[in-house]
Amino acid sequence: MNPEPFLQLDRVIHEKGRLGILSMLAASPELSFTELRDSLGMTDGNLTTHIRTLQQAGYLAVTKSFQNNRPLTTCALTAAGRKAFANYINLLEQIIRQARPE
Amino acid sequence: MESNWAAEHLQVIRTLMERAALYRRALAPIMILNGVVGLAAAGLGWGLGVGSPPGFVLYWAAVSVIALTGSFLLVRRQALKESEPFWSPPTRRVTQAMLPALTAGLMIGALVLARAGLAPDTGRGLVRVLWLPLIWVVLYGCAFHAAGFFMPRGMRIFGWAFILGGCGLFAAGLPDWARPLDYAHGIMGFFFGGLHLAYGIYLYFTEHRRNAT
Repeated sequence: MNPEPFLQLDRVIHEKGRLGILSMLAASPELSFTELRDSLGMTDGNLTTHIRTLQQAGYLAVTKSFQNNRPLTTCALTAAGRKAFANYINLLEQIIRQARPE
Repeated sequence: MESNWAAEHLQVIRTLMERAALYRRALAPIMILNGVVGLAAAGLGWGLGVGSPPGFVLYWAAVSVIALTGSFLLVRRQALKESEPFWSPPTRRVTQAMLPALTAGLMIGALVLARAGLAPDTGRGLVRVLWLPLIWVVLYGCAFHAAGFFMPRGMRIFGWAFILGGCGLFAAGLPDWARPLDYAHGIMGFFFGGLHLAYGIYLYFTEHRRNAT
C-alpha cells in the first residue's frame, strides 16, 4: 500500500476536535460558538483552543459582534479552510480506494 | 487498518455535516404551543358557531397569525438564550422549504374569501367550502415534509400524517352524522391542535432523554 496519502494528511485538521469543527462549518456558512460547542459536546476552553489553532492556520474566520446587547461569536470557513478540508476528504477517499481489491 | 480508520473518519464527518445543517431549535415548545392554540381555537370557533365561509377563513387566518407569532417568539427566545443568531442558516432553509406550500394555502384561503364576499349568501354555510380545511391540512403536511429534509427525521413522518389524513378524509367525504360546522372545526382541531400537541409531547420527552444520555 502506498503510504503517501496518509503522510499528506493535514495535521492541523487531523485532530478529532478540529475535524469536527471543520465538518460542521463545511455544511453551514457560519455557526455560533454555542452551536459548535453544544453540537460537538466540547467545553468552552477546549473549543476556544481549537478555534485559535484553526484561525492561526488561516482556516477559520471568527467574527465577534453583539446581538441584543449580548456578545455573539460566529465562525466560518475561509477559502483556504474549505480547500484544506476538501483536500483532507480526498486523501481519506484515496486511502479507502487503495485498500479496496481491484 | 488505515482504510477502516479512514472510513470511520468519513462517517464521522458526514454525521457532523448532517447535524450542522439540521434545524433543532425549540421544536417541542413550538409544537405544544401550536397544539394548545389549535385545540382552543377549534373549541372556541365551534362554540361561537363560526359557520360562514368568510368567517371561517378569517377566523383561522387570525389563529394562524397567533400561532406564528407565538412560534416566532419561542424561536427568538431560545436564540437569545443560547447566544445564537436568530436567522441562522438552518432557520433560513426551513423557512424557504415551508414557504411555497404555506403560500399556496394562504392564496386559496384568500380566493375563497374573495369569492364568498362577492357571491350572495345561499345559507348553506360551510358546506360550500368543506374541502378548504382538508386542502390546508394537505398543504401544511407538504410544507412540513419539505422542511423535514432540514429537520430531525420525524418531521417528515409528521408531514405524511397530514397529507395522508387529509387525502383520506377527502376520499371519505362528509359523514352523514356530522354537521358541517362540527366537521370543519373538528378537522382543524384534530390536525392543527391534536396532532401538534401529541408530537410536541413526544418530542419533549425524547429530546430530554437524548440530552440526558
